[in-house]
Amino acid sequence: MFQSVDDVVARLAGERYICSRDLATVVYLACAMRKPILVEGPAGVGKTELGKVIARALKLDLIRLQCYEGLDEAKALYEWEYAKQLLYTQVLKDKIGEVLEGAKGLREAVERIAQEDDVFFSDRFLLPRPLLRALLAPEAIVLLIDEIDKSDTEFEAFLLEILSDFQVSVPELGTLKAKHVPLVVLTSNNSREMSDALKRRCLHLYIDFPDVAREMEIIRLKVPDADQKLAAEVVELLHRLRKLDLKKRPSISESLDWVKALTLLNVKTLDDGLVTETLSTIMKYEADVRKAQDELKEYLAVRKAKSGQPAAASDKDLLN
Amino acid sequence: MLYRILEFSDLLRRNGLRVSVPENMDAASALELVGVGDRGAFKSALRAALVKQASDAKTFDELFDLFFLGLGGKAREMDEELMRQLGMTPAEFQAMLDALEKFLENLDGEISALTRALLTGDMGEVERLLREAAEAARGENMGMRVLMFAQGIGDRIGIEGIRAEIENLKTLLGRGGAPPELIEKMAQYAEQRMRNLMQLVRDLARRETDQKDPARSERERPDYLSQKSFIYFTEDDIRKMNEVVVRLARRFKNRLSLRRKHARRGRLDVSATFRKNLQYGGVPFRIKLDRRKKEKPEVVVLCDISDSVLNASRFMLQFVYSVQDLYSKVRSFVFVSDIGEVTKLFEEHEIHQAVEKALRGDVIDVYSHSNFGRAFELFYRHHWTAITPKTTVLVIGDGRNNYNRANDWVLKEIRSKAKQLVWLNPESRMTWGYGDSEMPRYAQHCSVVEECRNILQLYRLIDRIAA
Ligand SMILES: Nc1ncnc2c1ncn2[C@@H]1O[C@H](COP(=O)(O)OP(=O)(O)OP(=O)(O)O)[C@@H](O)[C@H]1O
Ligand SMILES: [Mg+2]
Repeated sequence: MFQSVDDVVARLAGERYICSRDLATVVYLACAMRKPILVEGPAGVGKTELGKVIARALKLDLIRLQCYEGLDEAKALYEWEYAKQLLYTQVLKDKIGEVLEGAKGLREAVERIAQEDDVFFSDRFLLPRPLLRALLAPEAIVLLIDEIDKSDTEFEAFLLEILSDFQVSVPELGTLKAKHVPLVVLTSNNSREMSDALKRRCLHLYIDFPDVAREMEIIRLKVPDADQKLAAEVVELLHRLRKLDLKKRPSISESLDWVKALTLLNVKTLDDGLVTETLSTIMKYEADVRKAQDELKEYLAVRKAKSGQPAAASDKDLLN
Repeated sequence: MLYRILEFSDLLRRNGLRVSVPENMDAASALELVGVGDRGAFKSALRAALVKQASDAKTFDELFDLFFLGLGGKAREMDEELMRQLGMTPAEFQAMLDALEKFLENLDGEISALTRALLTGDMGEVERLLREAAEAARGENMGMRVLMFAQGIGDRIGIEGIRAEIENLKTLLGRGGAPPELIEKMAQYAEQRMRNLMQLVRDLARRETDQKDPARSERERPDYLSQKSFIYFTEDDIRKMNEVVVRLARRFKNRLSLRRKHARRGRLDVSATFRKNLQYGGVPFRIKLDRRKKEKPEVVVLCDISDSVLNASRFMLQFVYSVQDLYSKVRSFVFVSDIGEVTKLFEEHEIHQAVEKALRGDVIDVYSHSNFGRAFELFYRHHWTAITPKTTVLVIGDGRNNYNRANDWVLKEIRSKAKQLVWLNPESRMTWGYGDSEMPRYAQHCSVVEECRNILQLYRLIDRIAA
């Protein structure tokens, strides 16, 4: 477990995740209090990644449940392996014949088979899905429930049950209780508001776009061979883009992708024609691309006007 | 500590946040873990335990500073800020305060207690005097709004008088024979202090009023708007209602996807399994689960955007946009006399822009006269494939057809092919069928027809739409 807030900062940094003390505090508390964290924030700010790095930092296994519309208990908790059960009945035909020997009529045959019920409904034929695997894990684990907002409200209610007692009852097997309470990280893009009941059960963490310095730090870490001056320009431009009325605002993943691409193409400054061309790769929508291009032009124009003065001070600021 | 937390939660609640008892307990155990020494962690811990909605974080931050730093703490922060602004080291700052104090001593009797405390940096005394004033101001008028309360406190302490005193002091300082830079600094300092005082008064008022502050009531306006007819909405009203619209859209979505909630777990479908496995001589190698097919409801919206209903359409288009944003299977059309699809436009633009583009005639001519009959017929001819047996069709419009051909046969066709046909009319039911309104004729083909003139009606109506 983490020793302190600063320990979280350090160990996540060790897993190449840069975080604020605010974020680290919530993670520290969640681990110490054994409470789920509900992480919200715009796309691409590192919500999913947070779940993964916590597991790595604590050297725990990660079990991930990806939510989607229509996700149900069978896909999330467990299923019976009907095919395997049936295969066994075929292979064991003779044995079954023995059991049924001398049975008078269908009713008695069914009766006798029923007595052997638990052979067929045992762990052997149980196919555990992520949630059950998380409960049955022999060691503590991190359970990442990703994009919970995509699931239906009914699934959310079901999840709430599990998150409150960490046990489930399987009709055929009885109640299965977690050996270790897993560390739960739920992420949401807020496409739907979570119920108050779920929120009450969790500590809440809102991750916003990072400030310039933190974003630079992330880039330095993830794209070490990037030209620092270029990276600074990219970050500055992206921060301007995020202020525009865009349908989808570019996030950390986009800045990483873009810096990587520009580095590969050996671009050294945003004046390069390739910049305008590659801009479309980080924007999903036509209209957004156009707005971004306008913003880029304006940014370059302003910079040019300023560049008459001694070496662009703003770039230096960004680097320090 | 728990007591302080409960008090703080109460303050949060008074400012519109929802905080429950278990959350208070969480906050208390969180604080035990991080301790109170690390102010950043202290604040983060409380926020994580008590605030569950990102939009409340700002209110939390402000109230936290007020509550936990207190006026005294706030004042200390102000001191630090002042030092930075004046570019002084703590030692220089202290020396200046001492000089000021000496100066004020010689003025004895000519200066108010509050001004003296303020200028010598005796913030404890400032706080005491302010609280006294607040008590008195409260006695005069219970339950005042923040600004009035602040004014009340200001009157009590005679803020105008203090301002005059400070101005006066600046002149007096000049005559004292101190070095000009120091005098300059002192004058700046005194002025800043005056500002600090105003800030403290406002903070105190904010913390002590029982009323929500005016900034919040602004945010709550959508509720006041819920019964106002769309037709009287200003453009600005509508833009403010983003949140409401999204909530409505979710409700609509939840309503439509209710049906499939019942099949939680697949059951073994015996007969299907048997059929499927005939080829293996009846040995059931392949299983058929009776997992009911996940029904993704489909929605087609036809929205009238003619001048007669312009503001209602502006609102309804926001609603349509939000529905489309939540769902993959929505196709949106707008019409006046022509009809055009705006699905793609909505996908590509941010909400307000998308709506304005649709209304401005980027897709169809918006300056023609309403012709529902023609629009319906065109829909039938060019977009009929949009309708399947799973489709919920939503028509939004007043049904005022300018005495053109009604072409209600199209609705009849839709009704027989689609799952349901819902018509929302932004006009009062009393006027349907009068003048050029074709509503009675159109209504007979619909599964649900409702007057939808305000948010409240829309809200209720969503529940009436079949799952
Ligand atoms: N603080 C950070 N430190 C290092 N890398 C980060 C950080 N935040 C985000 N990233 C990187 O940004 C990318 C996007 O992160 P991630 O996929 O976790 O975002 P997300 O918030 O889950 O987005 P979505 O809502 O789209 O699922 C990842 O490649 C991740 O490594
Ligand atoms: Mg993610």
